[in-house]
Amino acid sequence: MKKLLKYILMAASFGVMSCDPDLDIINPNQPTIEVFWQNATDAEQGVNSIYSTFARPGMSRWMPIIYVTRSDEGYSGSPWSDLANAMGGFIQPDYNFGPVIDVWVDCYVGIFRANQVIDNVPGIEMNNDLKNRLLGEAYFLRAYFYYNLALLWGNVPMMLESSKPTDLPPTTLQADVWAQVELDLARAVDGLPAVYANSRDLGRVTKGAAQALLAKTYMQQGKYTEAEGPLNWLVTGEGASIYNLMPNYRDNFLITSENNQESVFEWQFTINPTEVTDNDVDTPNHNYGTSISQFMAPPGIGWADAEARTWAIQEFLKEQTTQGERDPRLSASYLFANTDERGPQFTMVYGQTYAQRYGMENNRAYFRKFLNDHWRNEEGYRSPNNYRVVRYADVLLMYAEVLNATGRTAQAYAHVDRVRARVGLAPLSQTQPGLGQTAFLEQLKHERLLELSGEGHRWADLVRWGDLGSQIANRDPGFNNFVIGRHEFLPIPQRDLDINKNLSQNPGW
Amino acid sequence: MKKKLQKSALWLLLLLSCNYLPVIAQSSHLVQGTIIDKTTGEPFPGVTIIEKGTSKGTVTDMDGKFQLDVSSSQSTLVISFIGFLQQEIPLVGRSTIEVELDEDISDLNEVVVIGYQTVKKKDLTGATAVVGTDKTSRVTAASLGESLQGLAPGVSIRNGGAPGQGAQVEIRGVASFINSNPLYVIDGMIADANPTMNTNDIESIQILKDASAAAIYGSRAANGVIIITTKQGAEGTPKVSVSAKFGIQQLPPGYNMMNNVQFAEMQRTQFNNSGLTPPASVGVNFDPAINTNWYDEGTRLGNAQDYNVTLSGGSKNSNYLISGSYFENKGVLIGNDFKRAALRINTKNTKGRVTFGENLVFTNSITNSPGTGNPFYDMPLHLPVIPVQDSRFITGANPDGWGKGTTDAVTYAWNPVAVNAINSYRSNFAKVVGNAFLDVDILDGLVYRFNAGAELSFDHNKRMRRAGEWHFNQPAAPTNIIEDRSLFSSFLLEHTLNYTKTFGKHNLSAVVGHSQQHTKRDVLSAGRTDLQSFDGRYLNTVSSATGDPIADGFIPVNYTISGFLGRANYTYDERYLLTVTGRYDSDSRFGADNRSRFFPSVAGGWRISEEAFFNSSLVSDLKFRASYGELGIVTVGSWDYIGFLNSNPRAIFGPDEQAYVGATQARLANPNLGWERRSSHNIGFDAGFFDDKLTISAEYYNSLSEDVLVNLPIAWYLGNLGGEPAVNAASIRNRGIELAATYRSIKNAFKWDVSANMTTIRNRVMDVGNLGEGIDYIQTGITRSQIGRPLGEWYVLKTDGLFQSQEEINNYRNTNGQIIQPFARPGDVKFLDINDDGEINQEDRTFVGSPWPTLQTGAQFNASYKNFSFNMQWIGVFGHTLMNGVRRDIDSYQNTNFRADISPWSPDNTNTTDPRIGVSVGDPGLIDNARLESDRWLEDGSYIRLRNLEVAYNFNSSLLQRWNVSNSIVFVSGQNLLTFTKYSGLDPDVTGNGILQRGFDNGNWPASRIYSVGLQFEF
Repeated sequence: MKKLLKYILMAASFGVMSCDPDLDIINPNQPTIEVFWQNATDAEQGVNSIYSTFARPGMSRWMPIIYVTRSDEGYSGSPWSDLANAMGGFIQPDYNFGPVIDVWVDCYVGIFRANQVIDNVPGIEMNNDLKNRLLGEAYFLRAYFYYNLALLWGNVPMMLESSKPTDLPPTTLQADVWAQVELDLARAVDGLPAVYANSRDLGRVTKGAAQALLAKTYMQQGKYTEAEGPLNWLVTGEGASIYNLMPNYRDNFLITSENNQESVFEWQFTINPTEVTDNDVDTPNHNYGTSISQFMAPPGIGWADAEARTWAIQEFLKEQTTQGERDPRLSASYLFANTDERGPQFTMVYGQTYAQRYGMENNRAYFRKFLNDHWRNEEGYRSPNNYRVVRYADVLLMYAEVLNATGRTAQAYAHVDRVRARVGLAPLSQTQPGLGQTAFLEQLKHERLLELSGEGHRWADLVRWGDLGSQIANRDPGFNNFVIGRHEFLPIPQRDLDINKNLSQNPGW
Repeated sequence: MKKKLQKSALWLLLLLSCNYLPVIAQSSHLVQGTIIDKTTGEPFPGVTIIEKGTSKGTVTDMDGKFQLDVSSSQSTLVISFIGFLQQEIPLVGRSTIEVELDEDISDLNEVVVIGYQTVKKKDLTGATAVVGTDKTSRVTAASLGESLQGLAPGVSIRNGGAPGQGAQVEIRGVASFINSNPLYVIDGMIADANPTMNTNDIESIQILKDASAAAIYGSRAANGVIIITTKQGAEGTPKVSVSAKFGIQQLPPGYNMMNNVQFAEMQRTQFNNSGLTPPASVGVNFDPAINTNWYDEGTRLGNAQDYNVTLSGGSKNSNYLISGSYFENKGVLIGNDFKRAALRINTKNTKGRVTFGENLVFTNSITNSPGTGNPFYDMPLHLPVIPVQDSRFITGANPDGWGKGTTDAVTYAWNPVAVNAINSYRSNFAKVVGNAFLDVDILDGLVYRFNAGAELSFDHNKRMRRAGEWHFNQPAAPTNIIEDRSLFSSFLLEHTLNYTKTFGKHNLSAVVGHSQQHTKRDVLSAGRTDLQSFDGRYLNTVSSATGDPIADGFIPVNYTISGFLGRANYTYDERYLLTVTGRYDSDSRFGADNRSRFFPSVAGGWRISEEAFFNSSLVSDLKFRASYGELGIVTVGSWDYIGFLNSNPRAIFGPDEQAYVGATQARLANPNLGWERRSSHNIGFDAGFFDDKLTISAEYYNSLSEDVLVNLPIAWYLGNLGGEPAVNAASIRNRGIELAATYRSIKNAFKWDVSANMTTIRNRVMDVGNLGEGIDYIQTGITRSQIGRPLGEWYVLKTDGLFQSQEEINNYRNTNGQIIQPFARPGDVKFLDINDDGEINQEDRTFVGSPWPTLQTGAQFNASYKNFSFNMQWIGVFGHTLMNGVRRDIDSYQNTNFRADISPWSPDNTNTTDPRIGVSVGDPGLIDNARLESDRWLEDGSYIRLRNLEVAYNFNSSLLQRWNVSNSIVFVSGQNLLTFTKYSGLDPDVTGNGILQRGFDNGNWPASRIYSVGLQFEF
């Protein structure tokens, strides 16, 4: 009996030992960090992931909406009252308010991705030109995210290396954020090509884009002299042979003429009809488009979460083309009762007349530039219409502004005239010759409004011109709530303040 | 009755085999006797009589008589029969005895499964609740959890409600931010007892609550263990039992919403108040013919059907049980149903020293629902002036003309009828769950067991979106179909050695062993856009669709657990009890340095009633128990401890707009992840009074969770995506008292028993880890878990009625004289400026109530008289606060229907609690009134509910018996018939929004009223 027991115990313990399992189970779905960052493919994929951030909803939807509604050209009449208040009402429902936070989060998602490239790609053995280009892209993109953070929040935590859960950086003041943006853009200018040899790279950021963003960065700080260098490159230097205005203004907003000669920096979108999420890390089957058109399209089609203040429409009517016609930019910019000059019974809104949809009395107006009404009668969350971030027309007007600011108003005229001429307006040098510096700037404000309305530049313009304040509440009643010294910046998310005591809230919040 | 059956069955067996027990012939003293059943006074056949200390024995014959040769006239006879009190009769020279056997109403000798071992209830040292299936089977329940509600102290159940949805089961409070689910062990297989399990197959349920009881399951047992033993065949001729139950289900009354005329009038008032022109839909275009009651449209009378057929039987060396069952639940919401068919085969065979058997169930369950939306929000919110369907809504995107919000009748509510017509989601789980075992009786008291368990689930989900629109401003999306198939597999291999030995007054039972389980899920999915339809019928396969394909495949789960286990139970003279348990577990879900851990526990008991000095006619049994132990729980995914590159990002480049692969680390990882550990103390006593007619158990427990995983709310500026990295940092304590008492009166023709139990849970967050300086809390939506307070308490603004005048608003200032609510108008809600900074913002939030009940109770009453029996179950849950999310949306007044009983404030109607009504765009006062983070939506969730009421009649007629039909019972029952509560929502039994917003009623599916009839019989 004892023998039997012994055998059975032996057998049992053998059984136990033999089935001692392997507890190192490989994840078959994803590679570990350790095995990545080995070659040029890894480096390129790392950079691609930064671009992927543009289709995330914080970037592709909310950031442009915040820019247009927060400025005096738009507002939100959303039935989602928190949104209506936050977007242009200057009533912050909550320091962690979702749509605003989405922008903050996605900027930092992009920064984290860029930082991983900047940390890891230098150590990869690969073609040096390609490496410099890829790093240039990463520097540009990191700078672009910080540019927007500096514009919207001003004083923000600065993450310049791959994030660790324990990172508790202090607040970096806006001036220092700008300095970092300048530094990154200078590196980007060095590393990036003026044009890509291979058409498959169409849509990647270029030296021209870096120059333009660098100029914007300088201008926002009032460094007009410094801004001249990058603008020279674009307008009178190498860029002059790369960029030009499109003959037809509206072509800048159609899906059929994306990445055209006027495009300096453009977010690339396409339709993924099978997508199941906006979150680009959940599955490869995510949204490659933008939902901005669904959120900005008029009621009955979209959510109408951002719509236009109608005072700007009057600005378009102040001047006619040399042919005695209405400025063609008006109908390219807005869907409203008179998008068709003949009135609401002729203005088509997604297959029905304005009158059919909203009656004869309705005087609301909707931003049109990034909608898809030029090719279909519906919207959705998957708009393929590229978002044009920087157009050459913007660059020309920036150049004019810099020249004017640095005392060369006369030289500035030509660049404004070039933008006006494209839409058939008489040269400013004829209609308003010899303006002084201040008057010219005032005129430039008008020019920029008409050329760039609804494209998200107006907020930066108002900041730069020092025009924020309740004095513009006659155009946009939201500014009645604007408190100087407070509303220039959004409040830093409470959650990040709660977690990181080294951060401080923005003034006034 | 069960005992009577056993009695006659056993007698039947004895008749068949006369040489059942050998009668030893070597004689020195012959004893004769008669055994009488004390209750009936009739002779008692089949009673075992053994001479104490020997193996000599016999059984009584048909007339209750026996003869036995014993070694001495001074011997003692041990007289026993299952379910009756055992008696020891010293002969003291007698050669004839007459003994009355008394029914044992105590359950102290009941065998309790404690994991790898069984013990008698009287020898338990840990906190273990045994729930009889006579109680759980009374209610109509889709899952085991649901059927347990109110029946066991320390076990909190919140019902899911929807067809096929499981219940939320929590044992002794929530001690984790991530997982509060207990571990289920079904016949030795560790597998989830979700709604795919047929509750009728269950023979017994044991709930292991404290660290000692659960310790044998070590690293997985911290949330408690529920051990389920399924029914087995019994020795005897084949027996067929049949049961059928049919019930109708009724939604409890919904919110009383306005009809078209009332709504139109109120909306006109609303717009006029804001100086706006009312929409034409309630003005010039008002159509009195359209008056949609969305509750009527979205709901129906549901039903539940439950059918079971069981064939069982066996011989001395083998037994079998085969049961087939079908359960169907047509939900009270249109388009929602659940069906389950199950086949169970349990067998057990003994040959010589070897016993082998298996318990196996095949189930196939199907859940149908639209798969999107929540009608419990939409039905009250949707406007009565919008029809369900109308030709004026027909467009290319909405070919069936489903009614929805328009620019003239704005609502963003979903049309539940359209949602159901357009979308479908079908889930099919085909499962095999079971175990097979081999026992080898090595030598006296030593048994080796090999146990192999498996759970295989072939899951198939099919989602379709047909053409059509169901809400205002709906974004365009193509029709599509997505199917995913996944294989879930879990294999358990165990080797154990059991040793049981009695020497003198010492009694030892011990087990050692090794257990290993591998669990994996493998998913493959495919889909395509652009469905084809002909004559309104859709082709419903992936390949029949014509658009873009989707393919996806991954392995989300793959891990192995391996552990050594051991436990020894020692009792001395039935007075002193000691249990020592240990388990050493390793788990692949942690990094190599944190992978293994030892989980020990110890428990002791003193059965003071067995002491010689204990002499009480009142107290028939008294045992004190105490235990301490450490347990663990895994709350991480398979590879959370490693950082990975995520290759899902895509960049679009090139004139042809190609998507190029991007790769990045999206989620930050913490390599030092480990188990959540729980150390718990338990003290308790079990007492029996009046010959155990009254039994009382009480427990006090104090359990501290440490290394609790916190999904560290890391700063957004880190750019982390895909879930926050977890850190073992927090600590939670749960303390409480559990009481259970039962009184049984079964001596008379009118038999009854009543049981009651109560539970208190005091939950406190002890530590939240290092979340930054001065941060001693975790914020989750509108709840906050702060050190020293319960998990997930409501952290909101406090209100103080309504402003009655502009003057009152102007005078409502902080100490510095700032007007606190400058945007408010008379009739707006007044909020408290807690921090006195002159404005209402997040700094003014404060703790207002806890979602955790202070007291949970259950009570059951059973009675039988002759052929009638009666069962009643009550539950009572007290002291918790619910967040009524649905009412918040309704009472925000914006783009919704209105409750019929609102009385908005106006200068002429000031005596009301409803604020003024208006259009909130550009009116911050109205927006503030509707703030989510306010105590306006918090309500007392206490309730008392008549959970079940059943009357049954047993046809014990001789006619039926002649046909060999026995035990035939018909019954009628009503479930959830009465609920007493102040809660204004549909049901205060709210499952909530995860652990940290447990009391958030976000359109919780309410428990239905169920009226059932049923019948069962055996032959």
